Amino acid sequence: MIKITNLEKFYRTEEVETIALNKLSMHVDTGEFVAIMGPSGCGKSTLLNILGMLDDPDEGSYVFNDIEVAHFNERKRADLRKHNIGFVFQSFNLIDELTVFENVELPLIYTGVPTGERVKRVEEVLDKMQIMHRRNHYPQQLSGGQQQRVAIARAVVNKPKLILADEPTGNLDSSNGNDVMELLTDLNEQGTTIIMVTHSEHDARYSHRIIRLLDGQTVMENIMI
Amino acid sequence: MHNKSYATLNVVGLAVGVAACLLIFLIIKYETSFDTFHAKKDHTYRVMSVQYNPDGIDYESGVPFPTGASLRLDFPQLKQVASIIKADGTLLSFNDDKTNSIKKFKEDDTYYTEPQFFNVFDFTWLAGDKKTALNDPNTVVLTQTEANKFFGDWKNAIGKTIKLQNKTDLKVTGILNDPPINTDFPLKVVVSYASLKVKGSDYYENINNWTSVYGEHYCFIVMPDNQNIAQFNKQLGGFFKKHVPPGTIKGGMQLQALSDLHYNADVGKYTEGEFSHEKIDAIALIGVFLLVIACVNFINLATAQAVNRSKEVGIRKVLGSTREQLVFQYISETFIITLAAIIIGIAVAFVALPYFNKLLDIQLSTGFLINPQVILFIIVLLIAVTFLAGFYPAMILSGFNPIAALKNKIAASSTSGVSLRRALVVMQFCIAQVLIIGTLVIISQMNYFKNMSLGFAKDAIINVSMPSDSVSLTRINTLHDELLQQPGVKDVSYSFASPSDNSNWNSNFTYDNAAKPANFQANMKWADPEYFKLYGLKMAAGRIYIKTDTIHEIVVNEMLLKKLGVLNPNDAINKSITVQGKKALIVGVVKDFNVTSLKKQIPPVIMACYKDVYQVINVKVQPADMKQTLSSIERIWSGTFPDYVYEYKFLDKKIADFYKSEDQLSQLYKIFAGIAIFISCLGLYGLISFMALQRIKEVGIRKTLGASISSIVYLFSKEFTVLILVAFAISAPVGWYVMHKWLMTFTYRYPFGPGIFIVSILASVIIAWITVGYKALTAALANPIKSLRSE
Repeated sequence: MIKITNLEKFYRTEEVETIALNKLSMHVDTGEFVAIMGPSGCGKSTLLNILGMLDDPDEGSYVFNDIEVAHFNERKRADLRKHNIGFVFQSFNLIDELTVFENVELPLIYTGVPTGERVKRVEEVLDKMQIMHRRNHYPQQLSGGQQQRVAIARAVVNKPKLILADEPTGNLDSSNGNDVMELLTDLNEQGTTIIMVTHSEHDARYSHRIIRLLDGQTVMENIMI
Repeated sequence: MHNKSYATLNVVGLAVGVAACLLIFLIIKYETSFDTFHAKKDHTYRVMSVQYNPDGIDYESGVPFPTGASLRLDFPQLKQVASIIKADGTLLSFNDDKTNSIKKFKEDDTYYTEPQFFNVFDFTWLAGDKKTALNDPNTVVLTQTEANKFFGDWKNAIGKTIKLQNKTDLKVTGILNDPPINTDFPLKVVVSYASLKVKGSDYYENINNWTSVYGEHYCFIVMPDNQNIAQFNKQLGGFFKKHVPPGTIKGGMQLQALSDLHYNADVGKYTEGEFSHEKIDAIALIGVFLLVIACVNFINLATAQAVNRSKEVGIRKVLGSTREQLVFQYISETFIITLAAIIIGIAVAFVALPYFNKLLDIQLSTGFLINPQVILFIIVLLIAVTFLAGFYPAMILSGFNPIAALKNKIAASSTSGVSLRRALVVMQFCIAQVLIIGTLVIISQMNYFKNMSLGFAKDAIINVSMPSDSVSLTRINTLHDELLQQPGVKDVSYSFASPSDNSNWNSNFTYDNAAKPANFQANMKWADPEYFKLYGLKMAAGRIYIKTDTIHEIVVNEMLLKKLGVLNPNDAINKSITVQGKKALIVGVVKDFNVTSLKKQIPPVIMACYKDVYQVINVKVQPADMKQTLSSIERIWSGTFPDYVYEYKFLDKKIADFYKSEDQLSQLYKIFAGIAIFISCLGLYGLISFMALQRIKEVGIRKTLGASISSIVYLFSKEFTVLILVAFAISAPVGWYVMHKWLMTFTYRYPFGPGIFIVSILASVIIAWITVGYKALTAALANPIKSLRSE
């Protein structure tokens, strides 16, 4: 599903140039659950942003579902992204002014799903995430665990092929964290490819494979049994 | 960085508001200062004539000549009685000793007045005795500037002579300091009233006449302290009945307070451009509006900024700052910004003042800051704005919970400032839109005037004034032929006045041998038959009268017949009209043309030849080689009347002058509406910048989820469009009501339709979109990663 080759990304300020990704190559197959680990500043988030087509690489190739996307313009990337990729963030990133229902509905609006269909699919996914009873609440009125469920509901409502999770349990206690990991595992078992950035060895154990990064390069891969 | 641009927006907006407000304050101060320097101003009244017409009551500024003297006899309790008449275009000449030649001037500000005038009004005397200087006939008092003009140095002027109207020698008996600019008595040459009573003076025939009223002959009185005005007005009714022969004038007399003189548009005065109380109120309201808009910006931007400074507040609180200290800090910050804005505003006002003077034809000096009232105004402004703009954000900021503030958890919505700011934006746009609507209506009305058919041709026509003494009149036939021989001159006609003129002659008349005169007066347009062709006047029935020297045949206008109830113009032909003691037959009916300004209805008009009263030469010229033609007209005129001063005016210019005051008003509105829109846009820009900052994360999320750029821009503009529409819903009826009322003061009104509202809403939406568009686009184009990273 994903194949990246010699990917490079630099950050420039006036004085210094930082290499975030240094000729990084990796691949992820459809249906895999991959954890990416590494110390702060190793390039995890940069990699995730590029994989999520929120950012473009400076050099190298990124093939997504047999399409070379490394030099897609923003509109094309956005188009590909909204149909294929769901995001889960550490800080949930829900919109405070919108209700649970409206937050989950957003991706469907942007992909042009008709209203009737939208209601059906949002209700379906809220039910699956067991937060149907909170549908008219605002994010501020929910606990952290509930907020992350809403965020996951939002990530999957469009039935994406790939979910990118950036430290999904980072802001949660261990019990809520485990719940979220269970949810992700379930989704993976139903066929969704998942790439997750994490600091937690515990969470990483839910994955099939761990890719460890250091200074923008792959240093080790562990296959989980 | 953001703070810097906010501060700039704040300062610029407020400075412009302050500058506009200061200018308005100065204009109002100037306009309300007229003739307030006279010690007896509160007890001074003008006696005016009142006429009862079928259409209502007419107030006339002038009274018959004998009024003053009779008031003194009949009401000995009056402290002062003083008559004055202005003699426009008086010819003055004197012998210049240096060159030993005669110098001539035409001086519009020449007056005849009694010595008592200077007991009523406090003008400063540089030389001469104000009690005796104007006692004798043929004496004159000059202002300093005028005396310098005649005699080089005013100190040498006393005892010298100047010649009046080429016939009477006047002895200079006094010198006045130049009157201040804020008086409606712009005296230059003051001739003794006693001179009028000398046989041969310009007004000698009417000096004892109670039925003839000169509009420029005023009578002022100073009332005793305890006199009841209403009661005295009643007594004036009796006074009028006692002196004015019955059956001549249907009317009476009434007092008008001196304090009303400058503001009352219905009754004339010696200066142009009355500034009505309504105008003062309107302009004051605009000033307040502009200041409110500027302050609203200030509050808006300051509170918006408050949220971004929540972290700073948190840190300060953790470090031990008390709430009072924080309030003080923010108030003093606001104070400094306000002070900076006011200083810049004063500088802007300084620079703009000369342009305003030119625009409004007034003379405000740039030394205005020395005025204690202005200083007080500035101090009050400083305190008020600091308090209004500083206090609210200071309270909000200082009230933040330090922990929440540190964690940047203070969102825009949680400060409840958002709805307040929305309300303020709505208010700003209401004001701006009312001003836009007002400006559009005024401009449309002005254009309507300019393009409306006057009923006569006005282009390429000049009006040359002409002496009307008997000797001069013998020369006009020759002059007529000489002028026509000029290649650039198309037509020449003599008349009392041009079709639309400031100088109007209204008179009673009798129609068709009726027992009594008609119950309304007609406007006399004495003119030769060439007048019709020259001005392109159209006949509704009959023919133009033949050329005679005295009233022989008559043409009337349609309005006159309408008022008489004659339905078919042809029915009036061969009916008689008795006017000015002469009976003549109507030979034609002229189609109505505008006689005064379009502000007023067309009056009934009687036209006939009357050579003795002609004082205007109407000349139609070829547009090509105008300069050459004008100079040859001047040469011929000066050759014909060597003792007089040549003067001419283009008719279209003269007509444009009728609307000068409206034109000025429309300019003023345009400027202030522009400023209001500018300040509102600054506010809008500040607010959208703030919103973009506040919603940067939301935009990031939306973009991650696949939102397009256009949908983000829409997100931002939608809100402002709604706010503007809400503002419009309020401002449209207000604007309609106010402007409808204003239009009602005109007889010929621009048809005020929905077009103006459509233009004004479109204009404000487009302006707002342009303002908002850039920021919204920047926000939409920003990379979402950055906004989402702030963990």
